[in-house]
Amino acid sequence: MTNMPITPPVDTIDYRRRQTMARIVQRVVILVSAIVLAIYVLAPVSWLVSSAFQTETEIVSIPPHWIPDEPTLGNFKAIFTAGDSAPVTYETRSGTDPAAGNFIPSTAKNLLPSMGNSLIVATLVVILNLLVGVPAAYAIAKIRFWGRNASVYFILLTRVIPDIALVVPFFLVIRKLGMLDTLWSLVITYLAVTVPFTVFILIQYFEGLPDELDKAARVDGCSRLQALIKVFLPLSLPSLVAVVLFTFLTSWNEFLLALMFTQTSASQTLPILLASFTSDFTVSFSFLNAAGVLAIVPPVIVAIVFERYIVSGLTAGAVKG
Amino acid sequence: MLFLAPVMAVLGAVAVFPIAYSLYISFFSIKLTRPNRTPFVGLKNYTDLLGDEAFWGAVWRTVSFSLVSVSAIAVIALLVSLLLNQEFRGRRILSTILLVPWAIPYVANALMWKWIYDSSYGALNGILYQLDFIDKYMVWLGDQDKTLFLIANAFVWKEVPLATILLLVSLKSIPADLYLAARVDGATVWQRFVHVTLPAMKPGFMLVMIYETMMAIRHFDLFFVLTEGGPGSASHVLSWHIYVETFRNLSFGSGAAMSYLLAIATFALSYLFIRTLGRKI
Repeated sequence: MTNMPITPPVDTIDYRRRQTMARIVQRVVILVSAIVLAIYVLAPVSWLVSSAFQTETEIVSIPPHWIPDEPTLGNFKAIFTAGDSAPVTYETRSGTDPAAGNFIPSTAKNLLPSMGNSLIVATLVVILNLLVGVPAAYAIAKIRFWGRNASVYFILLTRVIPDIALVVPFFLVIRKLGMLDTLWSLVITYLAVTVPFTVFILIQYFEGLPDELDKAARVDGCSRLQALIKVFLPLSLPSLVAVVLFTFLTSWNEFLLALMFTQTSASQTLPILLASFTSDFTVSFSFLNAAGVLAIVPPVIVAIVFERYIVSGLTAGAVKG
Repeated sequence: MLFLAPVMAVLGAVAVFPIAYSLYISFFSIKLTRPNRTPFVGLKNYTDLLGDEAFWGAVWRTVSFSLVSVSAIAVIALLVSLLLNQEFRGRRILSTILLVPWAIPYVANALMWKWIYDSSYGALNGILYQLDFIDKYMVWLGDQDKTLFLIANAFVWKEVPLATILLLVSLKSIPADLYLAARVDGATVWQRFVHVTLPAMKPGFMLVMIYETMMAIRHFDLFFVLTEGGPGSASHVLSWHIYVETFRNLSFGSGAAMSYLLAIATFALSYLFIRTLGRKI
């Protein structure tokens, strides 16, 4: 045991160096992939937003201006003032500066009302979802009754019916009821695409709350309904927020059913109007992009503000159904 | 059960009844161009489809669109979820902005990509031209060989966030002990990935594949805004075919028959869906 060299064995140095190298490589890989992902997600949207702030003269430049030289609010102004101005004719369209968003479709004045329609429909759908979804989820999660599993499978089954398969029968029935081109036709049919999801998110959450809560409330003399309202609802606020968000976004974004049942500005929702702009080749690009930005801003803000609720709701809803 | 009554009534009215009614309609020849005569034709609407080349063409395009999109979604979502499962600065912000495509309405997404693909002023032409990949602007959506892929790209971009969130759940459920044990046994990074991570993600993967396939085979919005089934019939998929048959040819009977077949395909998929998740219910 004399004169042992103090330097550590060679392979230890090597091991350490390899460790540091691996860590650096890992960091670089993560950084690069994070940047690639951010570009992948944000680039298309940024281009849309950037074009919405360009004048019509700038937007048709080749190659494109990625960042507007002279940013303008003209396109948005055109949307918000479309209602006040005189009816759009060929003369007014080609008369003044095209850059100010004058190549706007005659239906541009319906854009804000259509947002209103979307808002009304989405709100009603949210309320109805809560009214029918909450008691059902409570019953399935907390009450043992005959046919409980069957109900779960039934709701699961309705969840997967493709919307396009509902279009023909819905159309015939709604026409017969004289409800074509009304907001109610949308409210009713949107229930088909939202209620099953709502019930599943809520079941998942209610099942996570202890059964003892239910028992304690009942021992204290609460009826089932009182137990639900006084004990469970206050505790399940996060899942209720998730339900409200999903239902709202689904209704706000829905297109196929609205395309079938709406005809005039009385019931057209925002996606319908947007789609009609895109199929009109005379609509100016800058106006179109501004309308697109207007359509994505509300749902994107909702998603970012309520991110936590949305992610937990998505996972709960998807895992369950 | 009184609590269940409202939901059952609603779903009965807006889901079960229409699906049953749709089956009933599919046995009749209903044309709105001929409103007073709607004869019972039995299975004729279905048997006619067997020899209908337009229908089979649409089915084939739907299948290829779904295969392309779902595999792309699965691969990209896998990579993104592996990234977001790491701890690094900016991860929170990155997961938040990942929700942006998910939140955007499909029609706005379609409008955005239509503008990107635009043949005269679009960003795709602009960037490829500036980087010298192309020497003149291309009519992207007008190219029969590319249309379906370009639409699939727009679909994938919007669906990746949801798929990622679902995959992250199964990644997070892997106990850290497993990795530690594998490390102690001398497994390399790659071995740990193949033998620990991938098997643990299998249920999540199944879920994503089945769910996204269900979304892809019924998808309509992008086809409506971007191409209307064109050019020629390059993007004439089943959902578009049903729309044209029903609301342009006003032939409700055969439209109902086709949408019923689509519903059956979805039910078959969802059976797999339930089987995969069955344990958890």
